[in-house]
Amino acid sequence: MSLPNEENAMSSSPDAQLSSHVFGDLLDSIIVDVASECHRIAKLGLDRNFEEEEEELRLSAQARVRVADPSNSGEANGKYVVDIFGQNHPSVASEVFECMNCGRSIVAGRFAPHLEKCMGKGRKARLKVTRSSTAAQTRNSRGNPASTYSAYSNSNSTNRLSNGASAVAGEEYSNGALEEP
Amino acid sequence: MRKSVNRPPTPDVAENQEKEPTLQELINIELIESGEKERLMELLRERLIECGWKDEMKALCRAFIKKKGRNNVTVDDLVHVMTPKGRASVPDSVKAELLQRIRTFLVSAAL
Repeated sequence: MSLPNEENAMSSSPDAQLSSHVFGDLLDSIIVDVASECHRIAKLGLDRNFEEEEEELRLSAQARVRVADPSNSGEANGKYVVDIFGQNHPSVASEVFECMNCGRSIVAGRFAPHLEKCMGKGRKARLKVTRSSTAAQTRNSRGNPASTYSAYSNSNSTNRLSNGASAVAGEEYSNGALEEP
Repeated sequence: MRKSVNRPPTPDVAENQEKEPTLQELINIELIESGEKERLMELLRERLIECGWKDEMKALCRAFIKKKGRNNVTVDDLVHVMTPKGRASVPDSVKAELLQRIRTFLVSAAL
């Protein structure tokens, strides 16, 4: 459904220029949005990774020093690991790679502690900071201590339910596999 | 007679006529008034999040903030940091999709 008039208008470069200009305009607006979001997170200290990064960089640097120093590898552990090819393995894995969760370069030997902080430590687990989650936090914190208490009471009630169920099931749980809250 | 109100003189008709709105301004007004600009922005935002562009930009910002110090950073700094890389790293498919929609709009608006 294209009339000859339309085609003439569309093929001329001013039209392409106009489209690019509009696109650039949209992109600039979005860049400003992202900038203001990052600025806000930085100023309010909502980036939970921020302070931990410096600590982690320090520990990674330490780990790397330990690895690079050959006199450490045998004495520190008290054993000298030699594999079938006759290679010695360093006590701390030295390969540096990128964490798939936060995108930082991590020394392999420090990866497990890093993941702990990066993905949260169970009870202290916090979701990645996004606008929606901070909005949820402010909603919850705005004076509804009842909501947090209700979360605890829910977990208590589910435990009670499972205890009741185990009582019915009988001996299977009697060896204490199910912990009392 | 004393002027009871201090206000600048009303601009001449002649001054107004010099500021003829450009084609770009007219299109912009049409985009905003029809609501299409908002829709396009939401579409672009969504596509950029999907393809990871926003995460790249946030990482850029975080690196810059770490270097410069959290309390010395302005929004303007971040915009300047992001703009060159940001404009260059939009995936071609995303750009093509948006340009197509914009072109469609321009055609319909011109009629």
